[in-house]
Amino acid sequence: MLLERIIATLKEYTGKNDMNITTDTSFEDLEMDSLDIVELAMKIEDEFNVNIEMSENIKTVGDLVKIIEQAS
Amino acid sequence: MIKTPLCQLLGIEYPILQGGMAWVADAQLAASVSNAGGLGIIAAGNAPADFVRTEIRKAKTLTDKPFGVNVMLLSPFVEEVAAIVAEEKVAVVTTGAGNPGKYMKTWIAAGIKVIPVVPSTAFAKLFERSGAAAVIAEGGESGGHIGDVTTMTLVPQVADAVGIPVIAAGGIGDGRGIAASLMLGAVGVQVGTRFLVSTDCNIHQNYKDMVLGAKDISTIATGKRLGHPVRALKNQFSKEFFSKEYDASVTNEELEKFGEGALRVAVVEGDEKRGCFMAGQIAGLVNKEQTSEEIIREMFAQAEQLLKDATKWVE
Repeated sequence: MLLERIIATLKEYTGKNDMNITTDTSFEDLEMDSLDIVELAMKIEDEFNVNIEMSENIKTVGDLVKIIEQAS
Repeated sequence: MIKTPLCQLLGIEYPILQGGMAWVADAQLAASVSNAGGLGIIAAGNAPADFVRTEIRKAKTLTDKPFGVNVMLLSPFVEEVAAIVAEEKVAVVTTGAGNPGKYMKTWIAAGIKVIPVVPSTAFAKLFERSGAAAVIAEGGESGGHIGDVTTMTLVPQVADAVGIPVIAAGGIGDGRGIAASLMLGAVGVQVGTRFLVSTDCNIHQNYKDMVLGAKDISTIATGKRLGHPVRALKNQFSKEFFSKEYDASVTNEELEKFGEGALRVAVVEGDEKRGCFMAGQIAGLVNKEQTSEEIIREMFAQAEQLLKDATKWVE
């Protein structure tokens, strides 16, 4: 459920509607740089009402899901 | 006098920070700026922790005023340096090249005011939430490691995005830059390039001469391909880097290797061909060597006059 919502947010953010996004998809695959990732994190915080701890270790969609689960 | 909330926040007379330029910003330069009423900053850069501690202690002997340390988050020694600034209880830590999140709590607990450099509004919001005392919105006009967004566009957007004080950086070289920054919503400025030619700055004379001789179009941004672009004066090194960057046969590793140590070659050896002479686009406006005190006084006298006359077009 959480994953689906995140994927929807990612698709909206990147405009990559046709891409098959899974937990293994990296932000590099999504052509997102560090600025995009923080921008997205702020969006997710508002949307999911959580405080997420950003770090360089967040490399894939799966990592992001894990961080949000820990924060909620 | 120009007094902004930043003066009170940092205990300084003039709302100006001297940029934390790696290899350049040592105890002497930082102390000269702090003694003149600004906030001097020692750059940790890629230096080992012991070196940083020595510079901090040296600065303490040279000034009674507050000063800061710039922690470069990509440094191989960042863990130790982060611990040392907390131990030494420096007044301010500015950060560059990344997310200082995991050190923020330690620093804040040590009573340090943390002021990260931000390249976007999202970063500014993130750091505000983590307890930053202020943020430095640095535009791509700056020298050294740069972001994409310009000062003119970044500062007002960051000022709208956060409630903490915003310091403008990138392209500020005289009183006009200060006055404009205040109009954009900043309550202070950070200046790097102009302090390169301070008589209190210990870089090689050739470096200073290159800055003094620079024009508006004398800088070039390279390294975009590697994800961390750098602005420096055009010379043999930076032009060669630029052409290698667009040469598909050159690997990223080779490109990184080519750039390694080039800043040291500029600062220490003054090698006009092989050095990487980092400087901002405002270098063309920097044309005389002065003490840090003269620089600060002159900039603020001009800004004050400009702001007093600022209503001249208003009917």
